[in-house]
Amino acid sequence: MSGIDILNIARDSLLSHQTAINLTGTNIANVDTPGYSRQRAVFSALVQSVEIAGIERIYDQFLGVQINEQANNLGDSEAKKDALGRIETVFNETAGGGINELLNEFWSAWNDLSANPSGQAERVTVASVSQSLASLFRSYGDDLLAVQDEANTRVSSLVDQVNSYVSDIADINDRIMQSGGSATNSPDLNSLKDSQENLLSALAEIVDFHYVTNADDSVSVFLSSGMPLADGNRHWDLDVVADDQTALYNVVFEDDPTVVINSSLTKGSLAAFLEIRDTTVAGYLESLNTLAASLVAEVNTQHRLGYDTNQDLGGDFFFFDVDPEVQEARYMKVSADIIADVNKIAASATVNGDGGNAVTMSEIKDELTMNSGTSTFSAYYSSLVGQIGQDVAYVNRSFDHHTDLMTQLTNKREAISGVSIDEEMMNLIRYQTGYNASAKLFVAAEELTDTLMSLVG
Amino acid sequence: MVMRVTENIKFNTIVDNMFRTQDSYNKLVEKITSLKEINRPSDDPIGASRVLNLRESKASVEQYSRNIDRGESWLTITESKLSSAGDLLVKAREVAIAQSTATSSAEARNSEAETVQQLINEMLTLANSKYDERYLFAGTKTGEAPFSSSERSATEIGTAAAAGGNTFDGTVTSSGTYTGDVNKTYVVKITGWDGGARTATYSVSADGGASWVATGQTFDLPAGGSVATGDIGDGIILTFDDTGAADPELAAGDIFYVNAFAAGHYNGNGGELSMNIGEGAPFAYSISGEAAFTDKGAGNVEIFDVLTSLKDALENNDQNGIMALIDDLKAASDQISKNISRCGTRANRLEIAQGNMADMELNLTGLISGVEDADISEIITKLSMKELTLQASYNVASKIGNLTILNFLR
Repeated sequence: MSGIDILNIARDSLLSHQTAINLTGTNIANVDTPGYSRQRAVFSALVQSVEIAGIERIYDQFLGVQINEQANNLGDSEAKKDALGRIETVFNETAGGGINELLNEFWSAWNDLSANPSGQAERVTVASVSQSLASLFRSYGDDLLAVQDEANTRVSSLVDQVNSYVSDIADINDRIMQSGGSATNSPDLNSLKDSQENLLSALAEIVDFHYVTNADDSVSVFLSSGMPLADGNRHWDLDVVADDQTALYNVVFEDDPTVVINSSLTKGSLAAFLEIRDTTVAGYLESLNTLAASLVAEVNTQHRLGYDTNQDLGGDFFFFDVDPEVQEARYMKVSADIIADVNKIAASATVNGDGGNAVTMSEIKDELTMNSGTSTFSAYYSSLVGQIGQDVAYVNRSFDHHTDLMTQLTNKREAISGVSIDEEMMNLIRYQTGYNASAKLFVAAEELTDTLMSLVG
Repeated sequence: MVMRVTENIKFNTIVDNMFRTQDSYNKLVEKITSLKEINRPSDDPIGASRVLNLRESKASVEQYSRNIDRGESWLTITESKLSSAGDLLVKAREVAIAQSTATSSAEARNSEAETVQQLINEMLTLANSKYDERYLFAGTKTGEAPFSSSERSATEIGTAAAAGGNTFDGTVTSSGTYTGDVNKTYVVKITGWDGGARTATYSVSADGGASWVATGQTFDLPAGGSVATGDIGDGIILTFDDTGAADPELAAGDIFYVNAFAAGHYNGNGGELSMNIGEGAPFAYSISGEAAFTDKGAGNVEIFDVLTSLKDALENNDQNGIMALIDDLKAASDQISKNISRCGTRANRLEIAQGNMADMELNLTGLISGVEDADISEIITKLSMKELTLQASYNVASKIGNLTILNFLR
C-alpha cells in the first residue's frame, strides 16, 4: 500500500468522472434532438478503483414496437383524411351551387318552358341551365379523377421513400455490425441505434412490416407477408409498374416485377393511398357516373318523344363527348344542335306546340329512376353526399384518435428516454463533486508522498 | 416510480393543448360567420343529406306555386273575356227580341243588322284573345288564331305539311273527305324505310302525335313517282310525290301532318292546357274555344252561326226567323255562363292549392333552418368560454422554460 496506489485510484476516478461529465454534456446538447435516447455512464467498481463499464442507452424496446404500430395507423388515417378532405370540398353544397341546386333549376326551367313553349327566353334558359348542369357533372368527375391521379402519384413517390429508408437501414446495419455490436457500447453505437429506431418509425408510417433485432444489433425487416426488405447490409427495393388495364401503378419488388404485392400492404400511408385510389374514390366515381348515365338516358328518352318548333321529333338532349362512348360524368354535354338552335328543344307533346312534353320532362324528378326503382335522382345524390360525409367524419375521428394515442406513446418514450435539463444539472453537480473529490485525492497523495520524501531525505 | 418529465414533454403538452383549444375556437368562429351548424357534409352527414332533400322539396313547392300563379292569371283573363262575350250575347238577344215584334220595320231591321255585324266582329276579337303569346280559346293549338270570320260549310281537310328537318324533300298533298265531327290533327310518322324495296313503314296519330293508333302500315314509293297512303283515318288520304326531287329518300323519324276541320268557324281543337300543381297532380287550366263557342265536342251552340243567322234574318226582314233565334241566343248565353262558372270553380281550386303551397313552403323553410342553422346565442357563449381557455393556455405557454433548476444554480 503506497501513495502510488492512491494516485492510480485518483486517476481512474478522475477519468471516469470526466467521462460521466462529458456524457452529461452530450445529453444536454441533445435536449432538442428528435428521437435522441439519453445515455448514462455505468460506473462499475474495480478491485480498488472504479471504471466506466459502458455507456448505457436508456430506451424501452417494447415501447418502440408500440410506437411503430401506432405510426402505421397514423400514416394510414392521415393519408385518408387528406384525400377525403379534398373530395368533401368538391361535394360541399352547404352554401348551395352544387348538383342538387342545379338539378332543381333544371326541372324548374322545363316547367317554365311548358307555360310558353315557343318563348325564346324560356328556351334559352333551358339550354343555359342544362349546360351549367352538364358542366358541373364534368367538373365533379374531373375532380374525383384528379384525386385518384394524385393518389396514384403518391404511391410512386412513397415507394421511392420506402426504398430510401430501407437502404438507409441496411447501411446502418452495416455500420453497426462493423462496429462490433453491443459488446462495446459507445456513444457512436448509441447514436447509430437512435438513427435505426427513427428510420423504423418513419418507415412504419408508410408500410406495415415486422422486424427482428439480431444478436449483433442489426435489424431484419420483412413485409407483413414475409418478404424481406432489409437483412444485414442487403436490401430489396420496391418498384411501381403501370397496370395493363387501368394504367394505374401496382407495387412490385424490383427483382420480380411480374408479381403484384398490393394486397400484402394492409396499413400505413402506402396501403391507404392504394385503397383511396382503388376503392374509395373509385366507388364515388361509380356512383356519380351511374347518376349521370341514368339522367342522360331518361332525359333523352323523353326528349325523343316530343316535338320542337319545326314539328320535328326531338333528338338526343345530352350526350357523352367521347368516342367510343363511355357513360361517365366527365364527358357529359348538351347536344351541339340544341346549343346552336334552341328551337330544337322538343317542348311539345303534339305538332301543335302545346308544351306537354316539357311538363312530362319536369315530372322525371319525381320518378324512382335510381337504385332499381327505389330512389329519385335527387335522393340518390343526397345520399351520395351523406355517404361521403360519413366517410370523412369517420376518417377524421380515426385520425384524432390515433394522434392522441401517438402523443401518449411519444410522451411515454420521452419519459423514459428523454433528456431532462433539471436531472442533467443534478448529475453535473454530482459528477463535479466526485471529480473535485478525486482531485483532492491527488493533493492528498502528493502530500503523503511529500511526507514520505521528507522522512527519507 | 415517479414519471420523469422532460423539456420535450413540457413543450409538447403545452403546444398540443394550445392547438386543440385553437381548433375548437376556430370551429366556433366558422359557425358564427356562416350562421350554419353544418358547414361541410362531415359536420353532420345525416343532416347534410336531409338538408339537400328538403331543399329539393322546397324548390318543387316554389315551382308549383309559380305554376298556380300562372294558372290563376290565365283563368282570370279567360273569365273576363267570356264575361264580355256574355254581354255581347245579351245585347244580341235584346236586338232579337225588339226586332221580332210586329212593330219593327224592314228599315229598322236592316239597320240593326249593322249592329249585329258589329257584335259579330267584337265576338271574333274576343274569341281570338291572346295571353302571353298564346291564344286563350284555341285548345292546345295555341300558336294560331282559333276563329275565322269565314265559315266552312262542310268538313275540310287542310294542306298537308312536313316537319322542317325531314329527309324527304318531295311533296306531300292531302285529299279525301273528312268524316270526323271535331277538329283533329293527323300525323304520319315514318318508322322505317327500305331503300332497296322503296317501302316505307309508318304510324298514324289522330291527336297531333301524342299517341299512335295505327303502326306498321306500309306504302311503296316508286322512284320519280307518287303513291297515296289510303285512308289513314276519318277519310284522310296523303299522297307522297318525289317527282323532281333530287334524292327522294324517306327516313325513320320523318313527320308529316295535316289538320282536319269540322264545319264552322273554329280552327283550334278541344284539348285543354295542363300543368302540375303538385306531385303527380296535373291541372287543366284552359277552356277550349270548342267548348265555349261551338257545338262540337263539349259544346252545344255554334255561337257565330247563331249570330250570323240573326244578321241574315234582320237583313231579310224575316220576323219569324228572328223570333226562332231568340231561344238559340238564350242557349248561347247559357253556354258562356257555364264556362264562366267552370273558370270560377277552377280558380277556387287553385286558390286552395296556393294556400297549401304557402303552408308547405313555410314548413320546409322551418325544417331546413332547424337542421342547418346555428343557434347564435349558444355559440357566442361557447366562444367566450373558449376565449378564456385560449388566454389561459397562452399565459402558460409564455412560462415555458422560465422555471428550471437553472434559475437557482448560482
